[in-house]
Amino acid sequence: MALFSKRSLEGWLLIDHTAAPGMPLETARNTGAMPVSRGMKFECATLTCSHCQQVLILNPDRTRERGYCPKCDHYVCDACEGIRVQSGGDCKTFKQIMDEVETSVLKKSLII
Amino acid sequence: MAKRSVSVTTQTPTATADTTALADATYPFLVQGGSGTQRVNIMEVYLGGQAGASTPTIMVLARDTTVAATNSNGAGQNDAPLDASTAALAAPPLTGNTNTTKPQRSATQKLLNLSFNAFGGIVRWVAAPGEEISIIGNTQPLGEVSLSAFTGGTPGALGAHLIYEPF
Repeated sequence: MALFSKRSLEGWLLIDHTAAPGMPLETARNTGAMPVSRGMKFECATLTCSHCQQVLILNPDRTRERGYCPKCDHYVCDACEGIRVQSGGDCKTFKQIMDEVETSVLKKSLII
Repeated sequence: MAKRSVSVTTQTPTATADTTALADATYPFLVQGGSGTQRVNIMEVYLGGQAGASTPTIMVLARDTTVAATNSNGAGQNDAPLDASTAALAAPPLTGNTNTTKPQRSATQKLLNLSFNAFGGIVRWVAAPGEEISIIGNTQPLGEVSLSAFTGGTPGALGAHLIYEPF
């Protein structure tokens, strides 16, 4: 039996500036871009928030606890973690939201 | 279903603020569901810089709060199946960057920041299986995603592709 690892949920992001002048620090600071400088290659794992589908770049230096929803067994972004904690642990995954949208459209189409 | 790729060979995007109409051919492309219930998974986005001078380019993949209408592919843009034997879909997703009602990027539902320097830079994101970005239906805010340039940089020429799978 294969063991499930949350690392299997990780995507991959590459920003390659090995032949580029890089992202100026001031621009990166003002826009939220990754400050990958001249001649550098940045590779990292990404997570897709289970509740809103925002793609998160994992900061290996983060010491704070990462948002985690035990009900859907996925990591969630900080904003969704705040909502989850405030609501007492509610879990509504993006897949559930998609199912609801689909169901509501189908129900409307059945009304004659 | 079958995986497809929407690509643009070369384009210099125009930096556009959130909730502002994205003018024709000023952004690489959008992807919109082909029907009210269609699901689309986005599994890869690639941008390759083609600029001739340093151009920090702030590219964002985001959901749209106003979806495009009467959409078509612009110059240098293609949408093709990855598998040669893919059958035509009854309701294919819409891709393109030329439309009558212009799409508007959401201020709150940005999904990926793919910023890079388009003077020789490369940026690529690949989703893990099952963790793709999803589109459902063809209405806002979940029915359309666009790749466009955000304000703050000086966008340079780039080529791009996005691999997606409609269901």
